[in-house]
Amino acid sequence: MARVVVLGAGISGHTAALHLRRLLKKDHEVVVVTPNSKWNWIPSNIWVGVGNMRTDQVTFPLAPVYKRKGIVFHQALATELHPEGSSEHAQPYVSIRYTDPSKLNQTDEITYDYLINATGPKLNFAATPGLGPDANSVSVCTPQHAVHASEELAGAIAKMKKGERQRLVIGVGHGTCTCEGAAFEYTFNVEHELRSAGVRDLADVTYLTNEFELGDFGVGGMTFHQKGQVTTSKLWTESLFHERGVKAIVQAHVEKVEPGVIHYEQLDGSKNTLEFDFAMLLPPFRGVDLKAFDAQGEDITSELFAPNGFMKVDANYSAKPYEEWRAEDWPHTYESPRYANVFGVGIAFAPPHQISQPRTSTNGTVITPSPPRTGMPSGVMGKTAALTIYDRIKMGPDAVAHKASMADMGAACVASAGTGLVHGTAASMTMYPVVPDYQRFPGTGRSNRDTFGEIGLAGHWIKYMLHVLFMYKAMARPGWHLIPE
Amino acid sequence: MDNATNDIEHAPVATPFILRQRQNVLFQLWRFVALNVRFVTMIFKGEH
Repeated sequence: MARVVVLGAGISGHTAALHLRRLLKKDHEVVVVTPNSKWNWIPSNIWVGVGNMRTDQVTFPLAPVYKRKGIVFHQALATELHPEGSSEHAQPYVSIRYTDPSKLNQTDEITYDYLINATGPKLNFAATPGLGPDANSVSVCTPQHAVHASEELAGAIAKMKKGERQRLVIGVGHGTCTCEGAAFEYTFNVEHELRSAGVRDLADVTYLTNEFELGDFGVGGMTFHQKGQVTTSKLWTESLFHERGVKAIVQAHVEKVEPGVIHYEQLDGSKNTLEFDFAMLLPPFRGVDLKAFDAQGEDITSELFAPNGFMKVDANYSAKPYEEWRAEDWPHTYESPRYANVFGVGIAFAPPHQISQPRTSTNGTVITPSPPRTGMPSGVMGKTAALTIYDRIKMGPDAVAHKASMADMGAACVASAGTGLVHGTAASMTMYPVVPDYQRFPGTGRSNRDTFGEIGLAGHWIKYMLHVLFMYKAMARPGWHLIPE
Repeated sequence: MDNATNDIEHAPVATPFILRQRQNVLFQLWRFVALNVRFVTMIFKGEH
């Protein structure tokens, strides 16, 4: 009997756990440890944040699903990894602290044969003083944050209905943030809501981002072939900003957020302020606070994890200039180089470098988006680790690992720009590969045929369809595994 | 510093025809099918 422990039940961890349970015989155990009691389809939090969806439409309780599927569930936080065991345990184990109200703060130790670290990000609001829902801005990272954002937005709209002009700022709250696509989506959903409420003329909407230029999205931008012409995601995105009357500030690192005032630095070294009545700024991410120890109890955290807290996997982490970055630097199997039975997937793995060109301000401040690794790539990585573990349990520890590099993986991104069955719209994008490969695709680093963008109502329908499909899949309803990651 | 406004003001803008096309239900039904085909092709391309 083997026991596989999955830390985290986001898109990556939950996908891995469901596939493992589907593939492994019942005498093997699949265990999920996650501090949250509910699963969340995070892409739809955008709609919760403008009041168009309720939290129960984007979440469901994990316990009944895991009980039905035969997965052992601990609502707890993983605190320590012991990949070599210890004097008390011959086997590797993970220390956990319960967040389950019935066992709150009790601790336990769970031994494992294989471990998948899919702990996702720590929302690092503390990196920017005054940032976050407990301080001076709002967020849509969790359903609770999104509800709060929706209430604040409703308050701003109510003031506009009384004739009071409002300044709305939406974007990212640090120079190293990722998920610019989510900030972009929220910007245009808010703009759509303002028009629906009949108050658009009383709102100044500004998008504040760490991207070097609009359309970068943390992937270095894209080049599209459209209607016989070559265009860029920059032009394409700027066109949408023009049409919808949204201003933008790019190359920005938010230094602090005071009540009603954002202080930010830009690549040219200038320090500026931006006044606001409503500000939704996404936080930067870092790895969760997970420590690692060897058999003697020595702290080996720095060997398993990068300084940003994300787990080192089979990537090339050697420091080298941007010009020498290669697609093959990116991981293929997501195995820890030190422990072959430990995997890091989704946001939890440490990327070898950014995808966008790194830049620092004249003051030395890093202002570059971190690489996105959410959604589709995240699910694929979870499934890949699950398939490798299944093969190793079935055929032995030397079974060849499955591969899924972001440098050989396409991604589809549908960025909502407003809801409604006939009035909705979205920017639909595909790119292949996610990480540009300039050896394979000289020039742009991506396949011109498979990198594409289109704006329209159909995108909104697809976004809604994906919401329904992925909620169904995550609930492990009949045929769930036929829905691709 | 508002450093993107100039680029935004000079960005190409969709014509009224394209704007209508983006919301035309019949045309968008066709695009819905076409985009799904494109997405499925993408999913099965490369390592997965």
